[in-house]
Amino acid sequence: MIRRYSCWIRSLLMGLGLFCALPIQAIAVGHSNSCYATGLSDRLQCGSVEVAENPAKPDGRKIAIHYVVIPAIKNLAPQEAVLGIAGGPGQSAIENAAGFERMLHKVRQHRDILLIDQRGTGQSNALNCDSEDLTAMLAHNDEAMDIAADVRKCKKQLEQHADISQYGSEQALADFEAVRRHLGYQKLHIYGVSYGTRMAQLYMRHYPQAIATVTLDGVVPMQQSVLAIGGAIARAQTLVISDCEKDPLCGKAFPKLREELDTLSDTLQQYPVMEKIHHPVTGETALLTFTRDKLQGALRLAMYSPSIRALIPFAVHQAYRKNYQPILGLLSLQSGSLDLAMGMHAAVVCGEDWPRLTAAQRQDAEKSVIGKVMLKGIDESCPIWQIPPALKNFSAPIASSIPTLLLSGEKDPATPPAWAEMAAVKLTNAKHLISPYATHNVAAQSCAGDLIAELVEKASVKQIDGKCLNKDVRRSFYLNASTVEAIGEDKQ
Amino acid sequence: MMAKVFTLLRKELVDASRDKRSVLAGLYYAIGTPLLMCGLFIVLINQLSSPEDLPVKMINADKAPDLVRYLGQQGINSGSGEKADKLVLQISSDYPQKMARGESAEVTVIADNSDEKMQDSIRRLQKALQAYSAEMGSLRLIARGIDPRVLQPLKVEMHDQATPDSKGGMILGIALFTMLYSVFISGMNLAIDTSAGERERNSLGLLLSHPVTTGQLVISKLLAVTAFAMLGLILILLISHFAYPLVPWAELGFSISISPQFMLLMLVVGLPVAMLAASLQLFVSFMAKTFKEAQSYLTMVMFIPLALAMSASYNIAPEVLKWLPVSGQQQALMEVIKGKTLPWMELAIASGLTLLIAAILATALARMLRSEKVVFGL
Repeated sequence: MIRRYSCWIRSLLMGLGLFCALPIQAIAVGHSNSCYATGLSDRLQCGSVEVAENPAKPDGRKIAIHYVVIPAIKNLAPQEAVLGIAGGPGQSAIENAAGFERMLHKVRQHRDILLIDQRGTGQSNALNCDSEDLTAMLAHNDEAMDIAADVRKCKKQLEQHADISQYGSEQALADFEAVRRHLGYQKLHIYGVSYGTRMAQLYMRHYPQAIATVTLDGVVPMQQSVLAIGGAIARAQTLVISDCEKDPLCGKAFPKLREELDTLSDTLQQYPVMEKIHHPVTGETALLTFTRDKLQGALRLAMYSPSIRALIPFAVHQAYRKNYQPILGLLSLQSGSLDLAMGMHAAVVCGEDWPRLTAAQRQDAEKSVIGKVMLKGIDESCPIWQIPPALKNFSAPIASSIPTLLLSGEKDPATPPAWAEMAAVKLTNAKHLISPYATHNVAAQSCAGDLIAELVEKASVKQIDGKCLNKDVRRSFYLNASTVEAIGEDKQ
Repeated sequence: MMAKVFTLLRKELVDASRDKRSVLAGLYYAIGTPLLMCGLFIVLINQLSSPEDLPVKMINADKAPDLVRYLGQQGINSGSGEKADKLVLQISSDYPQKMARGESAEVTVIADNSDEKMQDSIRRLQKALQAYSAEMGSLRLIARGIDPRVLQPLKVEMHDQATPDSKGGMILGIALFTMLYSVFISGMNLAIDTSAGERERNSLGLLLSHPVTTGQLVISKLLAVTAFAMLGLILILLISHFAYPLVPWAELGFSISISPQFMLLMLVVGLPVAMLAASLQLFVSFMAKTFKEAQSYLTMVMFIPLALAMSASYNIAPEVLKWLPVSGQQQALMEVIKGKTLPWMELAIASGLTLLIAAILATALARMLRSEKVVFGL
């Protein structure tokens, strides 16, 4: 059993905003190929393409790659579609159809949106591991758990219906191309988010003739091992603290935030807190074992969403003063919101990111608490998964002249803007825009959807003007459990 | 027999084409209606949809800077001037105090909900405020150690059976109606001219003094009028085919396109209706004594197909309309354009009825013309 809390500490990138990641399957209706996806009332077109699990053994096991098409409102380019690629690795694109629809709403006016459940996720032979429920996750001391045993057990289960070594990015890319040809689209406009940007870049490398434009949102450059994310998380955490310090209200309410967080983290490492609590969902009495890893994990997750991020200073301050309710609330958010297919996640990370970690990168990762925890987890689990390493040229930067828009959020806790710069070194027709207020997944938090529509319409990055990203949409920090506005003058 | 009908038909068509002005007058409808409709819709859509950047006058904006920035992200901006005055958001002066205590802070939307131009914008502002309130509510729960999902005991999912085409049902109904109705309008002038007009010019008697039967005469007149009606239908279809895609329907969330296949179907389905129109118009015109009288009668009689087709374009239409002439065809075509299968049964019966009525009217007319009273309008 891979415990869920360990999942979200180890799950590397994740993509789509927490609140759009509600996990319910698209339901196939009867024989017809129309269906619906959660949170989206529109009738969609669904189907699947059968492919060989191992391309080298075409007669071996077959897997069905499921897709949905969100039809254009008014289709002006029926031979084109916008392919949305989800993050994780391990998120299902179809389960997040509503989120994609919201982000790509403008593009959908004139073009179909195509979403494919990448092999190993969602409806395409998902490689899910059992996960623990919230009650157990709150109670357990995660720092003392046996990762290796969980991994072994999950691997054994998955091996009954999958050859886990076949679930890397490049195998999955061939599936995408098979779906494109099956549906008869001549050109794709690709929108990849988070880990999905790696898939998008591989698409540029292997099938450039099939691509009209590319948007990379929260970019993972080919040169970068996602395991280097520790630095990005630490950077984002520092940004939360300095943003609070610079903000007159937050700075006044929590003047010692930095020290408090450090003290809290150190104390928890030495003495994890055990408390009787009310369960965040059921309200029944439950046990919370509050460790340093749980603190860091909860804060990390909170940083993905600009609105939840606003609660961090208050939650830290309260936890420092031994009120663990706000942190408990943040801890509860992970259940249900991050259903990653951990087998597929491992197939990607252990094949493509773990083998290429250099000694210097390892040293770097050791610097931050979360980096250290991740490295430890991955060093224990990858040798068990035994995924063959990707070829050396896998990590070469993409050289391409396809119009490419790169989007980064300044506050991103996973893929900092510098990563996008790295991805763009050999892109000759690219533009990198940074939203000063966005976190991870810029298109869900800003006007970037309009910019993507412009890119798709004009097939050029030249005229795209990122001015609208600079509009001040910052969210104020919570000053107590109820408000973000100045409390002071309550004397009338 | 057929040869005589053809000769008579040629005579009718030559007659008709001599009077170019009245021919064109009949076809103006077919040319003008789609253009007029599209122009109207372009203006309407622009008027009714909320502008991308919506200016709102915000009172006490300084009390709720976070809310103001949140609205700004949705394109709802604090503004001033005449436009912003139409939609006012009043933030109560005790907003920060109420918020700080975890109570509900009052914000008031001041607007005229009967102003149709504003309705979309008002809804948008309300929705944004509710979303902000829900988000803040969730965060307040998290801050108290409770999972915000407990506030959502029901997870309501909507499975909308509509296709992008069928979403425009109402407008499609009207568009289809104008097309189908063109067969009534386009041939009308000719029908009057060739009946009451011919009698007024005293050429009807002359015509009947030739060795032709009244039946042959009626058939040839019927064919001539039908041909004009169909010409009108072809014209309106062609113009619609090019005009409708120009309207930004997508802003209303659907699309309307008149495909060549649909045009063909419409022509086939429209033919019996055109014959009915022709026989009805000829019948009524022959009943009248003069051209003018015929015009006023026809205006009244044309109200029947108008009512049938109109009522069929609403969803609340009674079942029986599916089987009746005009409304039956109208409903069958609407089903097709909504992406559903053609209701063969209903369409066959409606078309059969249409042809039957046309035949009865034509027979009655042929019989009527044997009477001198009718021929000379006595």
